[in-house]
Amino acid sequence: MILPPLVIDVRVKEAGTRGFRIWFPFVLLWPLLLLFAAFALLVALLVDAALLFSGARYHHYPLLLLKSLHLLAEVRGTHAHVVGSDSLVDVYIY
Amino acid sequence: MSEERARILGMLAEGKITAAEAETLLDALASTIEESTAATPGPAPASDWPTGPSASGTPKFMYVKVTGKDKVDVKVPLALLRAGLKLTSLIPPQAMDQINESMGEAGMSIDFNNLKPEDIEEIIASLREMEVNVQAADGDNVRVFCA
Repeated sequence: MILPPLVIDVRVKEAGTRGFRIWFPFVLLWPLLLLFAAFALLVALLVDAALLFSGARYHHYPLLLLKSLHLLAEVRGTHAHVVGSDSLVDVYIY
Repeated sequence: MSEERARILGMLAEGKITAAEAETLLDALASTIEESTAATPGPAPASDWPTGPSASGTPKFMYVKVTGKDKVDVKVPLALLRAGLKLTSLIPPQAMDQINESMGEAGMSIDFNNLKPEDIEEIIASLREMEVNVQAADGDNVRVFCA
């Protein structure tokens, strides 16, 4: 089962400073995301039905929405690590 | 600019240290930052990532490594690339035409309308053998590979 990201971990540090780290539990936003997705899916279904009845060739909005959510889920595992001469930035999504 | 960095550059400007000494000090400063951050709990550090394409098996990630003045390590799941390419086949035609036009203006004449699901799998599979190695004139080195 493909799930959206659980945590977004951001670390920023500059020489001579303590730096900061944000460990954001994205999992807490899942209920909101679910509500949004359900609402958007409903709207997309209505739009699709209207397009289908009007004879439009393109009517794949619900599928587009689901694939977009799939894309969001596949972001898991992305990691960026940048070390400058006096700073460090590390972003990890998992 | 950090206090330490400014102090090193100040010493260099005053002639108290040579350019080579300043470079050594700045390098030491950068490694101190990296070590102190790597010590904190979290994901595996970029130093543990593969250094080249995998010889066998299906690649899972695309790696972008930049070395030089700054060091950049980026790891992107290939599943994200696959999902993105599949999404392009569902984009409404009007929007796709605009995307193709904008990409054409930017010098990338790729027509996503021609991309089929079977092509996507072939692209992902052939990425295993791909390796891009760019050596810039200023000493920066960029490597892109999948492993």
